[in-house]
Amino acid sequence: MNPVQRSRNRALMRFVLLPMIFLTVALLGGLRIDIDTHAFIFIPPPLITLILSVLLMILFVRGHAIELRRWVTSEQPTLTNISHVLTLLTLYFASAQALNSVLPERGLIFWLFSFFFLWTLWNNQFSNFDARRLLRSLAVLFGTAFFLKHMFLASLFSPEGGWAKKVAGFLLEVGTLGTLDYQVFAPATGYISFFTLALYVGGLILLTPSPEPEEGSAFALLRAYQNLPPLERMAVRASIAGMQDNQPALPQEVSMETETIEIKGELVEAESEETQGRMQN
Amino acid sequence: MQHRLIQSVGIAWTILYSVFIIWIYATEPRSFKEVAAGAQAATGTYEIDQGRFNAALDMFHREQFRAAREEWQLADPGMRDARTQFYIAYAFYREGWGRVYYDKELFKQGLDAVNRAINLAPEGTLAIDDPDLQMHTAAELKAELEKGLEPSLGDINPFKVFRKRK
Repeated sequence: MNPVQRSRNRALMRFVLLPMIFLTVALLGGLRIDIDTHAFIFIPPPLITLILSVLLMILFVRGHAIELRRWVTSEQPTLTNISHVLTLLTLYFASAQALNSVLPERGLIFWLFSFFFLWTLWNNQFSNFDARRLLRSLAVLFGTAFFLKHMFLASLFSPEGGWAKKVAGFLLEVGTLGTLDYQVFAPATGYISFFTLALYVGGLILLTPSPEPEEGSAFALLRAYQNLPPLERMAVRASIAGMQDNQPALPQEVSMETETIEIKGELVEAESEETQGRMQN
Repeated sequence: MQHRLIQSVGIAWTILYSVFIIWIYATEPRSFKEVAAGAQAATGTYEIDQGRFNAALDMFHREQFRAAREEWQLADPGMRDARTQFYIAYAFYREGWGRVYYDKELFKQGLDAVNRAINLAPEGTLAIDDPDLQMHTAAELKAELEKGLEPSLGDINPFKVFRKRK
């Protein structure tokens, strides 16, 4: 594939396919099917999902899943910036609707789910993430919520269940003084939600940290290194040191710098960054 | 140049799709038929099935109210025609009317239908010229349905068995 074709495909994905995927998630995230009439029920995103979605967007930026400065920059043409802003907006609403899809509709369970999402996303703000880890973490988070809502709770409150299931549902309802208030939908709702989440995760996989790949840039490598947890940083350094052992001896000055990283980098964080600064210069 | 074209198409497509999603969530269609009817109404090409409408009217005149309603619902799947909604409400009224008591469930559905008719009518006024009907405006029908739903002392009046259905 020649560079022109590659560039065209990238543009098609970034400007057409990604917004389409995220908008489809935004459309289907609030769709439920009535259990009696099989009619469509469209549930707009509750306020809490908009707040959770803001946290999710911050997490994308912090986890370097989105390099905001490369998506929207004054160095790009206006049309490109507009297009990128629209794509990011569709991602925001898709996130809100993906959350809407796995949150129960009302009652105590809705607030419990919302609280756990809020707690998890808030805690994640202070964790060390790279894009791949963040994606894995989100897939697990959404997968768990999907299982709890569309499989566990739906099965517990299903009108077609056996007597044991009905008794369990009744006891749960009584035990929570009727605050549970779970709304039952047709099984098709679970399938729609599964498709929506799969599409959302697929969209996140296609979403690159920066619109154009950073070819031949050592800065991207450095950024990736900075996002690694201490143990993996140590492994990278050990690997580089191993490679250097096999290579002919470096000039005295460079060799000294490498040693400084090896010896001090992990224990004293400030010195490590200073050394990296020197390396960049 | 090709890049710019893709960008422009992408922006236009994103905006159109977003408008469609907002419209879907605002109108809340209950089936694919209603989505199609809503889209036709939005583009000004919506028309009811006149054959079904007339067939339903015949049933209504023969006092087959339930069958008439179902036929009207098929004639106006998008619930976008004020006249059809008025007749559906009237069918609910006539079926729910009783000498001893009114069927409140049917009256409630009738009230929903007549409210839809009023919302769809230009400037909220709707008059139907049909000699078979005794209430010719949506406002009259609405008032009658509301009266039937409100509990009053008249409900225990034994002479109410002499009242007439409109």
